[in-house]
Amino acid sequence: MEAIGKGPIHRARGVLYHSLQKYTAIMRVSIANNLAYVMEVFFRALLLVVLVFILGQLWKTTFSIRGVAVLDGFSISDMVWYLVVAETIALSLPQLTRRIDQEVRSGQLAYLLGRPCNYVFYNFAQYLGERLVRLAINGAVGAILALIFVGLPHFTWMGVIAWPLVTFFALCIDFVAYFSIGLLAFWTEETSSFALIFNRLTLVLGGVLAPITIFPEPLRSIALLLPFSTILYGPSRTLVHFELDQFALLLLHQLITLVVGSLILLAIYQVAIRRVNINGG
Amino acid sequence: MFVVKAGFRTVRFIGSYLVANLQAAMEYRVAFIVQIITMIANDGLWLFFWWTYFRQFPLVNGWQSNNIIIIWAVAACGFGIGMAVFGNAPKLAALIMNGGLDAYLGMPRNVLLHVCITASDPTAWGDIVFALGAFVLLLHPDLLHFALFLLLSLLGALIFVAFLVIFGSMAFFLGNTEGLSQQMLGALVTFSTYPMNIFNGVVRIFLFTVIPAGFISFVPLQLLQHFSWPLFGAMVGFTVGFVGVAVTLFEFGLRRYESGNLLGMQN
Repeated sequence: MEAIGKGPIHRARGVLYHSLQKYTAIMRVSIANNLAYVMEVFFRALLLVVLVFILGQLWKTTFSIRGVAVLDGFSISDMVWYLVVAETIALSLPQLTRRIDQEVRSGQLAYLLGRPCNYVFYNFAQYLGERLVRLAINGAVGAILALIFVGLPHFTWMGVIAWPLVTFFALCIDFVAYFSIGLLAFWTEETSSFALIFNRLTLVLGGVLAPITIFPEPLRSIALLLPFSTILYGPSRTLVHFELDQFALLLLHQLITLVVGSLILLAIYQVAIRRVNINGG
Repeated sequence: MFVVKAGFRTVRFIGSYLVANLQAAMEYRVAFIVQIITMIANDGLWLFFWWTYFRQFPLVNGWQSNNIIIIWAVAACGFGIGMAVFGNAPKLAALIMNGGLDAYLGMPRNVLLHVCITASDPTAWGDIVFALGAFVLLLHPDLLHFALFLLLSLLGALIFVAFLVIFGSMAFFLGNTEGLSQQMLGALVTFSTYPMNIFNGVVRIFLFTVIPAGFISFVPLQLLQHFSWPLFGAMVGFTVGFVGVAVTLFEFGLRRYESGNLLGMQN
């Protein structure tokens, strides 16, 4: 009786373990592929240097004109570190929508569907590998820049521990959004426009240029309610200004966004997959 | 007389390509319109954010929140004209690396001009519509200021294209500079859309020479607010000089160009 009861659980565990191994292997290959062109990734970090430099100058000027050392709880050092963290996440985004769009249009999706893995998870593993390499290199470049600019940060150990978790959820939310937009290629001629708008909303209302709490009302309240704040503002603030209640709220906001986003993605995927015609080959 | 005729022929040549590129983009009418609307929304979103920001945190030294509208309008219009008319300039490094110049070398027209005008970026039309809309609707200029705005945007467009040609031509000497060219263009666009008041010293010199963002937005802003002939002369002089450097570098590099014996059609 006990053996019968354990059977399905063991089988499920086995399936889960093998799936995890499979997708981890895909992610490892993606990391290796991106590390092979590491200089190109470094080149891309040039824009991070430019943006952090300009925004740092802008905030330095703003602080000096206002004659204050702290603005909404952020000192100039906190502000520069916040900008570095937010820009690091924002600029690590790969061209996911374009890839999915091309796979749909070229018909390559049909070949990938035949592989012994789920198309969505396969792309997630590949995306995660690429994004982690970019995140690490951007983070290293950004940290050096911030150290030169304002010196050591004042992170708390709780913030340092919590940051990887909320950043992982932020990357997942980005994936769900850009993957769904890429799948729209089944119906529309053009998906890059939708990706551009989502990206700009994430940057502007997500707090890449300044912490959202500094925005004037009603922009501030609107931006805090929208899911974009969970991608950049939330994780960046968690590292720079950790507060337990804000962290709990962010996690809740991220989970709700992720669940709703995943449901939308699955719905689009289910409808889209029925439109695939495989004509041999 | 010969110069006038040659100039007229060149303008007609550019115009013909512009029309052909526009017709090609209109083949995918819906996508083209969506791209234009998206770009207007994109530029509008940034402008709204920065306008809100500078109202909340005004800068001193005569900076007004309306200045951000001029900076964005003139930079977007310059970039838009540059990419709509000379939309192939960002691909120059890739063409040099892949032997793609072969198709242009046998043609009777100027190689650099021909390469640059062969393609057009459809989203650039969105930048132009946004810039004209923002300048006219938000600032209500008189006819003279509007004409000056168009002229300054045109000069800005030439600076953008010359900048791309300079970094693209480096592929003749350094190998693949496509990534560098893209990153430098990103830096130029970014620096062009922020007030120059926040930079000083060496950075300011840098922004009027190596990355000439100052001549794309700051000088036009000054001219549109308080026109002066010496400053206008400096703007025209810099543009002519910068274009001259780009053309010379390309011509010099072209002597080192090695054909890839690439068989293909010019598209």
